[in-house]
Amino acid sequence: MTDVFQYTPGDSVLHRMNPVTKIFLTFCICMAAFLTDHLSVLIFLLFLDLMLGVIAGIPRKAFSIFRGLAKISLFLFALQALFVRRGNPVFWIITDEGLRTAGTVVLRLLVVCLPFALILAVTQVSDIANSMVQVLHVPYAYAFTLALTIRFIPLFMEEMSGIMEAQAARGIEFDTKNILKKFGLLLPLCAPLLISSMRQTGATATAARVRGFSLRTADSGYKKYGFGLVDLCAAVLSIALIAGAAWIR
Amino acid sequence: MIRIQSLTFRYEDSKVDALHDINLTIPDGSFLGIIGPAGAGKTTIAQCISGIIPHAVRGDFYGSVVIDGLDSADTPLTDLSRLVGTVFQDVERQIIFPVVEDELLYGLENFGVPREKIEERMTFALTHTGITSLRHRTISSLSGGQRQKVAIASLIALQPKILILDEPTGELDPGSSRKIFALLQELNRTYGITVVVIEQKIMLLCEFAKRLAVMDQGRIIREGSVREVLGNISRLEEIGVNCPRVARFSSLLGEQIRQEISVCVNVEEAEREARRVMG
Ligand SMILES: Nc1ncnc2c1ncn2[C@@H]1O[C@H](COP(=O)(O)OP(=O)(O)OP(=O)(O)O)[C@@H](O)[C@H]1O
Ligand SMILES: [Mg+2]
Repeated sequence: MTDVFQYTPGDSVLHRMNPVTKIFLTFCICMAAFLTDHLSVLIFLLFLDLMLGVIAGIPRKAFSIFRGLAKISLFLFALQALFVRRGNPVFWIITDEGLRTAGTVVLRLLVVCLPFALILAVTQVSDIANSMVQVLHVPYAYAFTLALTIRFIPLFMEEMSGIMEAQAARGIEFDTKNILKKFGLLLPLCAPLLISSMRQTGATATAARVRGFSLRTADSGYKKYGFGLVDLCAAVLSIALIAGAAWIR
Repeated sequence: MIRIQSLTFRYEDSKVDALHDINLTIPDGSFLGIIGPAGAGKTTIAQCISGIIPHAVRGDFYGSVVIDGLDSADTPLTDLSRLVGTVFQDVERQIIFPVVEDELLYGLENFGVPREKIEERMTFALTHTGITSLRHRTISSLSGGQRQKVAIASLIALQPKILILDEPTGELDPGSSRKIFALLQELNRTYGITVVVIEQKIMLLCEFAKRLAVMDQGRIIREGSVREVLGNISRLEEIGVNCPRVARFSSLLGEQIRQEISVCVNVEEAEREARRVMG
């Protein structure tokens, strides 16, 4: 699970695309998902997400992210289906309206989360930060903070599993199936984890300072982020998605 | 030149001085090794030289650290960093980006190294640390020793006037450690870079460093040429510094036969000395 947010080297179309285009594409997929209420459109978008994973040459990773999200989604689906009271009953207290709403919410969640994870898998955080500064003129400090946050997710997770192993070795059962119980076990770990990761980011920020962080400008980047044919195609596709979703509604 | 005068530093919330009344002058072109037991204040002194103390670490700072005429307390950290390159003890925290190439590019880009020079500098740093083949690898796929080399390479690429390395071979095997020291020696000799290296492997310091400083409990208790410092082995062993066996051998031999014996720093010398006094 810890490698989900990590960069996977490769040479696919998605790897070569300008990071800004990738962010735009992700953004448009999200917009489209929020514009539409049609289950079929959402399913199409989900299919598109998974196709992106295939195009990026990381189908396995895409499906494993999908599986992880699907587990959370199932839980949400059950909650939604139980709580929506409108519509005609299908069985017990579940209504057709409830099922439809739950399906929409859950699909939307999947459609929105997947591309973010995929983009992180095929784009180096430094490229995201640099291109945002170069192309979008985002202030470097913000872009760097974002890059550093993304960079620390895997470290954070590694540390988390390290602590869990240490606790498990002392007889604490983290592998319990009871979600609430597991949550209760994890909660006390949050504070020490947060403190240790804050100290780590602090030291890394110092490492950045002593290598000229404050001198960096939009022109500092050695790599230049140009736009090519792939970017044009992706942009057209992105806009078409939004237009299509708005039109069908 | 680095001139440290009456430097005392105490970390915020700490009850004892981490450094106490340090006086040390490091001339241009030196190769100084700093050695001492855990908690002696080695990392703290390194951070004082690089300006991280007092600019990025809170505490009480007395005395002065002057680098090339710049008082570290009055000079912005960025300006100090142009002069002094620092390799942290904790490599995990030093490395900022997930891919080797980006890590090397970062400082080069920021300090405004001209585009046409960047490739050359990167190639230089990568070849000399022996990690050319790792250029496009992700950091998470590297071993501890390889990460250490990446950290060193990212600073060598910047070619600072002064290079401070805090236990740069902590995760390296003996072979790689020697290569790193040989590289430091080359940088020192060929480019006149001042090298200050904190190191536990005393044999490496004996072989490569020109001078040694021994720290204990926030003080510098000895400073001088390698031979001068090793002349007083019993004092070093008292504070827990592991002395090379040849040096211990020569001092023991001297005591046994009650005769002046010059300190030996390698096996050949010890053999020669032994043959001489034994006749
Ligand atoms: N951030 C800190 N806050 C408070 N005290 C600290 C801090 N860092 C170090 N110290 C204390 O300052 C003293 C010197 O620490 P320093 O890290 O310089 O030792 P060192 O010689 O580098 O040791 P090592 O060989 O373990 O790296 C120690 O007593 C240590 O406990
Ligand atoms: Mg230290």
